[in-house]
Amino acid sequence: MVLTEKIEEVIEWLGEKMTALTHILAKIKLQVTDNEHTSSHIEAKPYSNPYYVGFGLGLVLLAAFVIMGRGLGASGAVSSVVTFGVNAIAPEYAQSNDYFSTYIGDGSVSPLKDWLVFEVLGVIFGGFLSGMLAGRVKGGVEKGPRVKTRTRFIFAFIGGTLMGFGAKLARGCTSGQALTGGALLGLGSWAFMLAVFAGGYALAYFMRRQWT
Amino acid sequence: MNAPFYKFDLFGFDVSLIIAFVIGIGFGFALERGGFGSARILAAQFYFTNMRVLKVMFTAIVTAMLGVFYLSFIGYLDLSLVYISDTYIIPQVVGGLILGMGFIIGGYCPGTSFVAFSTGKKDAVFFILGVTFGVFIFAELYPFIEVFYYSTNMGRVTLPDFFGLSYGMVVFLVVLMALGAFAAAEWGERVMAKKGESK
Amino acid sequence: MKNYIMNLSGSKKLAMVGLVLGLVAVLLGNPYDNTYAKVNVKALSVESIRDSEIINVKELTEWIIEGKVDYSLVDLRDEEAYKEYFIPTAVNIPTSKLLESNLMRNLKILLYCENNIKAAQAWFVLKSKDYKSVYILNDGIDAWKDEILFPKISENASANEKLEFDKMVEVSKFFGGSPQVGETGSKKEITMPKIEIPAAVPMNTGGGKPKREGC
Repeated sequence: MVLTEKIEEVIEWLGEKMTALTHILAKIKLQVTDNEHTSSHIEAKPYSNPYYVGFGLGLVLLAAFVIMGRGLGASGAVSSVVTFGVNAIAPEYAQSNDYFSTYIGDGSVSPLKDWLVFEVLGVIFGGFLSGMLAGRVKGGVEKGPRVKTRTRFIFAFIGGTLMGFGAKLARGCTSGQALTGGALLGLGSWAFMLAVFAGGYALAYFMRRQWT
Repeated sequence: MNAPFYKFDLFGFDVSLIIAFVIGIGFGFALERGGFGSARILAAQFYFTNMRVLKVMFTAIVTAMLGVFYLSFIGYLDLSLVYISDTYIIPQVVGGLILGMGFIIGGYCPGTSFVAFSTGKKDAVFFILGVTFGVFIFAELYPFIEVFYYSTNMGRVTLPDFFGLSYGMVVFLVVLMALGAFAAAEWGERVMAKKGESK
Repeated sequence: MKNYIMNLSGSKKLAMVGLVLGLVAVLLGNPYDNTYAKVNVKALSVESIRDSEIINVKELTEWIIEGKVDYSLVDLRDEEAYKEYFIPTAVNIPTSKLLESNLMRNLKILLYCENNIKAAQAWFVLKSKDYKSVYILNDGIDAWKDEILFPKISENASANEKLEFDKMVEVSKFFGGSPQVGETGSKKEITMPKIEIPAAVPMNTGGGKPKREGC
């Protein structure tokens, strides 16, 4: 498929840029630490106290409410990017599809010129910044010791697909529904949150090989 | 009363995009600090060995909820202008179940996968590709599920409306529930740690 | 006791603060209630309706014809009067129900009644609830009838006045009015244009900004 190839290309390109950026920042970081220590080895710091992190995250969310009158999100940005991609490859098709056409609107504004797209760019940057400061930008694959990397990649893709579909159906993901709607006491958001945990726990037993 | 600033036209759309980026940085930073860039930590939530997801999420919800409540109370924030998505109960529950399954299979959720990606996790790339593909499939199937997607619309309903309780009461109950969940999580982690040792 | 609290871990202190704030919240009730807004009586007493907050009917016709959406037109009269006739696009919210309505604070709100005094009363109510941009339609529905629906011109009017009047005729017809020439017409013989009450007037919620919310 042309589309998936295109997406792969973009991701590859992004990955390259990101690795390059990682190297540059790692050098800077090394220089800084070299001045302090003789060793150039960076120890990954342990993660912070979850309650403090939660408090901080709550303040960020509150800031979004106060400044923008809306909460955080993530999957909406993916929708915009997908719309942009489809619209670039097959504009007629994108406009005929009811779902894409709502994201295109009247066509005067690019689907990428969207609040959530910029927010997610910030998320990527902020995550990188935090990881860098704590020496946690290390790469690697997240999995348990019992599965092969290849298997993990396949499961990541399948999980992602379910996630994307579910997030669209539920009108939001863990950020947009559970976190944002949860803080605003939305009924649907709380029902959604319970369902997420239910779905996760229901399958956890069958997935244990991947993680433990 | 002059918040939310954007709704009172304190700045335009273009400026809002810059703000989005800045807020996103805070969001991403917090997620990474919480350990959400690691699928193993996220998945551990479902095996009761590490309850960080629950702790971070509920602390954030309680913080923001109390903040919103008190800012509205002093008349600073107009809560009716803060966007809450409408409730479509059945599609949301079904979507939540699918998403929860995706969570344990894929190891991330969309927000955390971006953080994992930025800290160099290779599996996150496949996950993000998957999310993209999932959204694409949804759009493809949209004509067939449109009716279901818009079914059981309950409008803008909040828990206080639904249960007929005062807003303040629900706030209190959520705080209580969160604190109870934290206590249970701490206890559960200790139990699981002991179990791990005895193995 | 003090020592006990000081010796708690940071997380537990956070938990205590959360619990206390939660408990207090029970007593405070619902932040969606407008009754909470604090009134600064002093500020209100020196505040008065500025000229710029008085909109005349001709300006309003332009807004309606252009299809502006960044304002809410509010008819303050009782339901019966509203049913009989109202200015197109207006929603009916009698003054007594003003506080229960879900008028958006970020929109312009244009009030009208039979006359300015009643509208001014509502103006102060909304101002005291911290609505930022509240306007009054000058001379209310009467001005609308006299100037827009049934504009009059005497036969010995100057050329300039006639030119003005011709323009008004267009506007008047747009709203279903009947312009009067000469002294013959009197208000009682004129029939009001019929106006259908929309089944449910959609509440305007935002100022026409791009809306693609959700996660």
